[in-house]
Amino acid sequence: MSRNNGRLHLWAFLQGIGFFPGGWRAPDATPRAVFQRDYYERIARLVDDACFDAIVFGDQLQGRDAAGRTPGRLAIPTLDPFTLLSVMAGVTRHVGLVATVSTTFNEPAEVAAKFAALNLVSQGRAGWNIVTTVHPNSPWNFGAADLLEKSLRYDRAKAFVDAAEVFWRDAAGLDNPQRAEGLQNRWFDIASTLDFPTSPQYRPVLVQAGQSPDGRNFAAQTAEAIFCPAPTLEAGRDYRDDIRERARGFGRNPDGILIMPGLAFVLGSTEAEAQRKHALMLELADDALCIEYLSESIGYDLTRHPAGGPIPLEQICAECEFPAGDVRRMLAPAAEAGESIADFCRTYARKPRGHAIFVGTPEQLADRMESWIDAGACDGFTLQPGYMPTELELFCAHVAPLLQARGLLRRQYQGTTLRDHLAVGVGT
Amino acid sequence: MYLSINIDIPDGAGDAYGALAHTADRVEAAKADFAILARAHGDQGLAPPRVEPVVSLPWIAGRLRTPLVVAAIPALHSVPFHIARALSAADFLTDGRCGWLPLLAAGARFDAAYGPAHHLPASEALAKYDDFIRATRALWDSWDDDALIIDQAAGAYLDSAKVRRVDYRGPYFAAMGPLNAARPPQGHPLLLRDLDEGTDSATAADVVLGGLDRLARAPKGSVRLLKVAAASLDDGLRHVRDGLADGLHLMGPDALELLENLRGWVECPPYVGATARERLGLRKPVNPYSRKGAA
Repeated sequence: MSRNNGRLHLWAFLQGIGFFPGGWRAPDATPRAVFQRDYYERIARLVDDACFDAIVFGDQLQGRDAAGRTPGRLAIPTLDPFTLLSVMAGVTRHVGLVATVSTTFNEPAEVAAKFAALNLVSQGRAGWNIVTTVHPNSPWNFGAADLLEKSLRYDRAKAFVDAAEVFWRDAAGLDNPQRAEGLQNRWFDIASTLDFPTSPQYRPVLVQAGQSPDGRNFAAQTAEAIFCPAPTLEAGRDYRDDIRERARGFGRNPDGILIMPGLAFVLGSTEAEAQRKHALMLELADDALCIEYLSESIGYDLTRHPAGGPIPLEQICAECEFPAGDVRRMLAPAAEAGESIADFCRTYARKPRGHAIFVGTPEQLADRMESWIDAGACDGFTLQPGYMPTELELFCAHVAPLLQARGLLRRQYQGTTLRDHLAVGVGT
Repeated sequence: MYLSINIDIPDGAGDAYGALAHTADRVEAAKADFAILARAHGDQGLAPPRVEPVVSLPWIAGRLRTPLVVAAIPALHSVPFHIARALSAADFLTDGRCGWLPLLAAGARFDAAYGPAHHLPASEALAKYDDFIRATRALWDSWDDDALIIDQAAGAYLDSAKVRRVDYRGPYFAAMGPLNAARPPQGHPLLLRDLDEGTDSATAADVVLGGLDRLARAPKGSVRLLKVAAASLDDGLRHVRDGLADGLHLMGPDALELLENLRGWVECPPYVGATARERLGLRKPVNPYSRKGAA
């Protein structure tokens, strides 16, 4: 890895209005702007100027409703990631553009063509966060009753990526010894590829977020970068060591895979100011919001019950749309301890999605990032601003320069493609 | 008189990006009224473009500030949920300036690339085409136009009673909804149809393209674009003057030069409003799922 490229990689996860469910209510948040082109153009330029590796958007294949009721206090919807990244491609020169796309309710031809288009309009800056879709309501939007069983989802995902690779290699005029198996296998029966044009890096950088053993194996075989939760430095190091070991087992160089744990942040010029802002984030998520937030996470409408009343565990487990066993594990301790619905939901919404949350000054955040890199706990971070756009602006103005001064982050881009920025080699 | 043109990457272009950007910039400079991301077959046929249109539309709309921007979509190979989601975002980010042109025929290459699961007897193609459009529109209608509230102080983001599962069930597509995207600014992005693929679709399009005989059978109220190439330009201009068409869709290898020459003397229509529907004087589609007075 070139020293000039820095030791620390940065991705900006810019979903919706930011990390905290109540963040859209902050006085300086701009929740209406997320429907406007100018907003995406502005934040894309900001991230490009700060020399991040990439911008990442997640995606879902279902509405955000719980048993038919769409929450009224959560800031939804989020816009289609390809659309946002395509807009951003038009106003930036360097930053990578990573879209989340499922291998379950898509076809390889369509996905290969879409990433070829994103790679073309960005001149080699596309990345694909490969997901297999776990939400129980997603199949209903595609005329299917149920999800595939998990190991089958990953089996399909592997075959899907192999098939897409054939489309990209054909378009680029590259050899592919696995061409026949890639097109005809137990999942796909493809007679020929499409004639879309190729562009630099010939295909998107492959990103994954595997957690289960199946998911980790898929990631270790396929991914060039991994997005994961890592609540502590030790958890990060264990995960990274495990993935690197699995990669060696598949005959891959572990340096070809970057581990990019999520890191949410709230910044203040003093620690006390940052704590006050964090407290405000939690306060803005009032009880009614928190109850909707948990409702969505389990697929059961808790707003039907009194907020101060007990958790109706048996009724929830009988009716929830998510697997009842998982929901019971999540709720049983609180239900047995006699917690009210509102109490549990408040606690639940404090730490969304299991990612680490940093609250402090720019100096402290730079210290923390440096210590994780030095300890081998990760190769960089997938940053999740507490709310948008303020926290992103603070990071770019105050933290990125510190990281650059310490030689951790590039001062200027060393190449033009996303694969150049990640420095993970030329692909498979 | 409207002027319309295809945009795609020409076969054999060495620098695909440069060719696409250059074409888009010339179309913008010539102030086309419609720019359709589509590939031309000869002087009449349309197919999906070489560059995937749904992903490239938002980018190209950044260079095309004047025209309405339209994606030619292979209807028999596409999924309503994905199309509804992406075009909702595209309609928001173009301030309601986008459209879609679902095509029956995508070409043999598409059939081969999608595999036998997508093969369909020719007799069923039109039924699936109509079902695709209905399913996509039903998903857009899973949100009311005024579902979003976004009151930060009150903590009210949307009205739950104005977002719903539509449980669309057609012969080929089923989609529960709601869509994870709000109803587009136009209600439904502008719908275009190539009448040269056949005129007996159950779906009335907002804008139709075709030869003269086909346009004569266009649904009432739709904007009619007559396909012309260099050799048929003079006839085409006469037909527009005679009220048989509302504009020209320029085809053939010289389409871009034709556009630039025509713009030398064809004045831009006096647009009122921002969205495609406002410009063309078309109403916003009623949402059949919407309940008046939903609390």
